[in-house]
Amino acid sequence: MREVIHRYGVELDWVTDMAAELGGYVEGKYIIVPGEKRPGNRFVLPINDNITAFVVDVTYNEDVVYRLRNTRDDFVGIYFNLTEGDAVHILDDVSRLIGRWGYNLSIFDADLRGDYLVKAGSTKFMVAIFIKKTALKDYFSKNANYEQIIDSVFDPVQNTIVKFDRMSSQAWWLMDELRKTTAAGPLYEVMVTGTVYGLLSDYLDQTINQEIILEKVVQPDVVNIIGSQAYLITHIREGFIGIPTLAADAMMSETKYKRLFKKITGATPNAFFLNCKLAYAKEELETGQYTIGEISDLFGFTDASHLIEQFRNAYGTTPKEYLTLL
Amino acid sequence: MTANNLRVLYYYYTLSPEWQQQIVKNLGAELIDNKLLVIPEDIASGGSVFLEVTPGLSVHLLDMTFHVPVAITRVPKAHNYYMIYYDIGDEITTHILGDTAHKAGYHSKLGMGFMDCNVKGIILPPVGERSYSLRLLVDKNYYKSLAATNRTAEVTDMLFDEAKNTLFFYSHIDSRSKVMLNKLKEEHHFSGTSFELKLKHIALYLLNYVVERTARFEPIINKLSQSDIDNVLKTSKYMLDNLLVEFPGLPAMAEMAGMSGTKYKILFKKILKDSPSNFFSNEKLLLSQKLLQSGDFKNVNEVAYELGYSNPGYFTKLYKKLFDVSPVEVLVKR
Repeated sequence: MREVIHRYGVELDWVTDMAAELGGYVEGKYIIVPGEKRPGNRFVLPINDNITAFVVDVTYNEDVVYRLRNTRDDFVGIYFNLTEGDAVHILDDVSRLIGRWGYNLSIFDADLRGDYLVKAGSTKFMVAIFIKKTALKDYFSKNANYEQIIDSVFDPVQNTIVKFDRMSSQAWWLMDELRKTTAAGPLYEVMVTGTVYGLLSDYLDQTINQEIILEKVVQPDVVNIIGSQAYLITHIREGFIGIPTLAADAMMSETKYKRLFKKITGATPNAFFLNCKLAYAKEELETGQYTIGEISDLFGFTDASHLIEQFRNAYGTTPKEYLTLL
Repeated sequence: MTANNLRVLYYYYTLSPEWQQQIVKNLGAELIDNKLLVIPEDIASGGSVFLEVTPGLSVHLLDMTFHVPVAITRVPKAHNYYMIYYDIGDEITTHILGDTAHKAGYHSKLGMGFMDCNVKGIILPPVGERSYSLRLLVDKNYYKSLAATNRTAEVTDMLFDEAKNTLFFYSHIDSRSKVMLNKLKEEHHFSGTSFELKLKHIALYLLNYVVERTARFEPIINKLSQSDIDNVLKTSKYMLDNLLVEFPGLPAMAEMAGMSGTKYKILFKKILKDSPSNFFSNEKLLLSQKLLQSGDFKNVNEVAYELGYSNPGYFTKLYKKLFDVSPVEVLVKR
């Protein structure tokens, strides 16, 4: 299995090293990787002094492990990632598979290490935006929500910037427009730059009203939270196991566990579990094989009316209405 | 001829922000952060934002409601940029190039223009209506490098040889650009980091769309004088103002332009990207679409007669060919 140890940054000194790790070389703004194992496009474009973009559109015909080991800590990586197929798995420090990467937007402080596996058969389309913390701080400082706490947010002792999220429909559209553009020539640079500005604008709009949780985070924390999510998903048909057990499994205090879970995923463990239950219940409902009562039993709801109530809260329609609208 | 109270403003753009000083000096506007212009309330509500997007591309977005009539003249300059103009106005804007008045906005159709900075432009914004427009300023060498992607080197060199050719056209805003611009217009503010990033994104996408679009134009190599432009636009304006009658015919239009029929046909096609008769026919059909949806007509025949088609079947055939749908499916009955 190929292992790629690499770093990112706004400055471009990482590009040549990464190309070598990938088994390729740099040609202009492209990283060329010969052969049919991982064909596609890899394009690096400095947008301005504070921002660099890395566009990847690659098909994987072999498994690859990536290990992100940044040497600079002056930037944040914002990763818009549409991956199809068996996708990406998060690894812990001894390379055990922890869980599937279920998010298509992730924000990582350069401080954080990352280890993940991309499985053969996946197609990855990613726009990674590396932005200087000073520039990002400047963006946020103009917002009233951040006025009082902006220094704490960007203080590495008090806080680590990390978030798993879902991209908006506008971000999907932007990614799609870029993907349709031929990856060559100066016009491609216009589209990449335009897409990066659009994605950043959308990211700011989306983030600005989210709750801010200040907490220092290290890689094992992220791995543990992802592991915790994976546990909840594999036990989706059971009752909620409870915070004490989950926190103990994640090797954290209950307070820290709850705070970190919310900070990293934007939801409480309870809400995450319920949302997943409903999403799976909806999928089963769509198969037409079960009655609403049976699905309620299957996923451990108290009774059908409980399921109906939660379903309506989440999707704005009852399961029955939902079925007739299919 | 100037109305008593008509204010007159002369200005020109630069790719860098310094052109805004003219507006500060001549209209008493306030300039904030070297990018936001706020016009004195007795002249207009609202203002504009100007951003340098990338080296070679700047964008100016204007959202104003004028309270007094102002004639705004963009003075021709021997600078090194093209201007691409998008009018997304609520109402009629009287837009004059040289001596030719040409309406852009709801009633008239040509919301987009591409011109060299050495061509003069005059705008008379409507009083009491929201004017919303965006301009891209693109360095000529930069634009040429982008356009070269889609053309052979030989054609590119001919197109951009200013001794032999003038780049200039007027058209409708293409639908991809229109969707983005309409969305932008819904946001009633200019300020904030996310808005500036969005405006840069839109400027770059518009640039990409216009390069892709112009690559599909048939290259017509011709040097245009200001009077050529004025004269051709005089005839297109005449047609846009008289869509309810039959096509006046090429000889009459060429005579109005003061040119030979041959020269007129070539220059018309160069500027409006269509032959005069096709242009007229398409504009008629675009108007017919509005009339069909207006709810003012009982049936398709009424719309056809309103637009001066003596044979409604012929109208239906033309409409289907252009829009891929039959007019009766679009009709909102009275």
